[in-house]
Amino acid sequence: MPSLQIREALRDAMREEMARDDRVFLMGEEVGFYEGAYKVSQGLLDEFGPKRVVDTPITETGFAGVGIGAAMCGLRPIIEFMTFNFSAVAFDQILNNAAKIHHMTGGQFSVPIVFRGPNAAAHMLGSTHSQAFDIFYAHIPGLKVVSVATPYDAKGLLKSAIRDPNPVIFFESELMYGVRGEVPEEEYLIPIGEADIKRPGDDVTLICWGQSVPTALAAAELAQAESDLSVEVIDLRTLRPLDEAAIIASVKKTNRAVIAEHAWPYGGVGAEIVDRIQRLAFDWLDAPIGRVCYDDVPMAYAENLEHLSIPQREDIHAALRAVAYRD
Amino acid sequence: MATVVELPRLSDTMEEGVVAKWRVAVGDKVKRGDVIAEIETDKATMEFESFDSGFVLALVAEEGEALPIGATIAVLGKQGEDPSEVLAGPAKAPAKRVPEQPAAKDEAPAKDEAPAKAAAPAKAAPQAAPAEAVTVDADSRRIPASPIARRLAREHGLELAAVTGSGPHGRVVKADVERAVSEGTGKAAPAGAPAAAQAPAAQQYSAELDAWGRPYVSRPEQRERLSQMRKTIARRMAQAKREIPHYYLTIDIDMEKAAAFRADFNATLESTKISFNDLIVKAVARALRAFPAVNSAFAETEFVRHGDVHVGVAVAVEDGLIVPVVRFADQKSLEAIALETRDLGQRARKKQLRPEEMSGSTFTVSNLGMFGIEEFAAVVNLGESGILAVGAIEPRAVVVDGAVVVRKRMKVTLSADHRVTDGAVGAQWLTLVRGYLESPLKMLADPHH
Repeated sequence: MPSLQIREALRDAMREEMARDDRVFLMGEEVGFYEGAYKVSQGLLDEFGPKRVVDTPITETGFAGVGIGAAMCGLRPIIEFMTFNFSAVAFDQILNNAAKIHHMTGGQFSVPIVFRGPNAAAHMLGSTHSQAFDIFYAHIPGLKVVSVATPYDAKGLLKSAIRDPNPVIFFESELMYGVRGEVPEEEYLIPIGEADIKRPGDDVTLICWGQSVPTALAAAELAQAESDLSVEVIDLRTLRPLDEAAIIASVKKTNRAVIAEHAWPYGGVGAEIVDRIQRLAFDWLDAPIGRVCYDDVPMAYAENLEHLSIPQREDIHAALRAVAYRD
Repeated sequence: MATVVELPRLSDTMEEGVVAKWRVAVGDKVKRGDVIAEIETDKATMEFESFDSGFVLALVAEEGEALPIGATIAVLGKQGEDPSEVLAGPAKAPAKRVPEQPAAKDEAPAKDEAPAKAAAPAKAAPQAAPAEAVTVDADSRRIPASPIARRLAREHGLELAAVTGSGPHGRVVKADVERAVSEGTGKAAPAGAPAAAQAPAAQQYSAELDAWGRPYVSRPEQRERLSQMRKTIARRMAQAKREIPHYYLTIDIDMEKAAAFRADFNATLESTKISFNDLIVKAVARALRAFPAVNSAFAETEFVRHGDVHVGVAVAVEDGLIVPVVRFADQKSLEAIALETRDLGQRARKKQLRPEEMSGSTFTVSNLGMFGIEEFAAVVNLGESGILAVGAIEPRAVVVDGAVVVRKRMKVTLSADHRVTDGAVGAQWLTLVRGYLESPLKMLADPHH
């Protein structure tokens, strides 16, 4: 099986879907001649031409809106945000048009569109360019929200997102475009809304997604080695709709849960998961649920402070020990 | 629409209450007026009759849980109705979504490509609180335990109070219950046994040694939460001792005539047997009627001269003390007093008295004679001016007409509020009580007041 980087897996997903369906097109800043700020669209302009790989001015509101209009008229746009930090400019289009038009028109129009790009803090980008938009979009009925951490998941889920009749927010990570993994040559799809057990275990359920997946897996190794804790790592992969069944099944087995999220604590996706667990698995809980998040401050630019604000494997290990009453 | 059942106010002084026992279970049909629970108030355990009809959808209050007045304790409604609609809480869980395809497998991202993180000192792990002994709480059963520990204990028929908690603040966690299951400890004791007694005697040894170098057996201290009654007793006794300047007068009473009178009475009137205490209650009531200064209460700027004589009779019950009241005792016959105190006493011991049967006394009699106590001093009840502490009736050597003879004697001690009466008044009143008991026939005469 070939080993691909996440950026290549994403490109292959787009290429396959553009070849399969001529309604699919890619639009965004630097996606064409520059082949993507992170080289995700490498080779696509040459293969599909400027009508299907469209460079835009720096106008997120504008091209997000054009994309929504195109989707309403029957096309299947993929809108790339250079980073989701810039989606804040297009928030009104996503919130009020993409997420609502199907509802507002009584089902006469649908908006089959994908907004994709890197999300959350990368490395020393300052507070305004280190935002985690997970809960902003997961909060909105009418959207689906995906967050990927491996090449295999990236490809399978992006293909599903492009084919989905609903607007899909597709989170990638600037730091993880180079992450390698095996991707089958034959075509496959991963359904939106299914979590994946990245590492089975018995003592604690560790829930993660996106950037927190590699940290969580490292923390699980550390917990096994140093604390003799068998940790089950669940990669949500989709934040909305949430794979409640997978979470609850695991918590019923382990009786304990920690949520590791690369996002701020207040009202985060982790808080939603805590709510589901306490309601649906109350009688199976043996400890209060732990959460490991960004520190509740704007992300620092200084490297040392940024490092302290972002969950590290040691922080997650400490939370795993706490819920297992190991301290 | 389901109806919420709230914890009712069952006595004037009640601030919180405890569902001592549920008499219904979820699913039971309840008619208005049916007893659904026994509620423990600060004074008594009372039957709680439903104000509504319907099916029991949920029992919210746990037995033994202390709750404020108005707290939701249960939900009634139509059969099969969802009680969560009326219970304040988050929205219902979204419908289960069944994935249509099996989850695809993937491998973890290769480590060399994972975002590099400089090795940094680990953030300090949260400090765990030092382990504390689990609070053994036979009364309210508020034992810190994780939900699954609670469920497993229930499934295995274990008493949580008997399981030692190893979690923070003594929380009983799953591992503790599993250990208790495997070791066979913590089995629920037969009903009625106090929960504290069920705790396995964790026998440990002291670091201190005796003269032969052997360690002493040392047992851990246990904490027991106050019952509603004990809370009330603690509050009211402390307040009485703090606010009321007590003085004490003891008088020795010859009980020869009273004993003969009682024997004659009980032999003649076979329907009712009277006790010495009934005679004392009657004597006290008559003396209070004759002496309104003692049948009074202190109210800062004025005295409250009670118009009626209601005599409280202290009754020892399990875990405390209850004072049922013989109302209008001065106007009741000995027979009536005897019947009433017996009934009140029996129901007091079962904690079945109604609040009005335990309030409104203007004076109290406390008798420890049956325990052989010669004399003692009682604490004045708030709102009263005195309490009479009654000792045992015993044959004693006394001097009568210059000769030592053996007579049945009894010592009584008046504890009195010095703000209401002075010693001389108290002494005069006690002399009156003695007069009634030394010449019991006086009590049968119509009162002159």
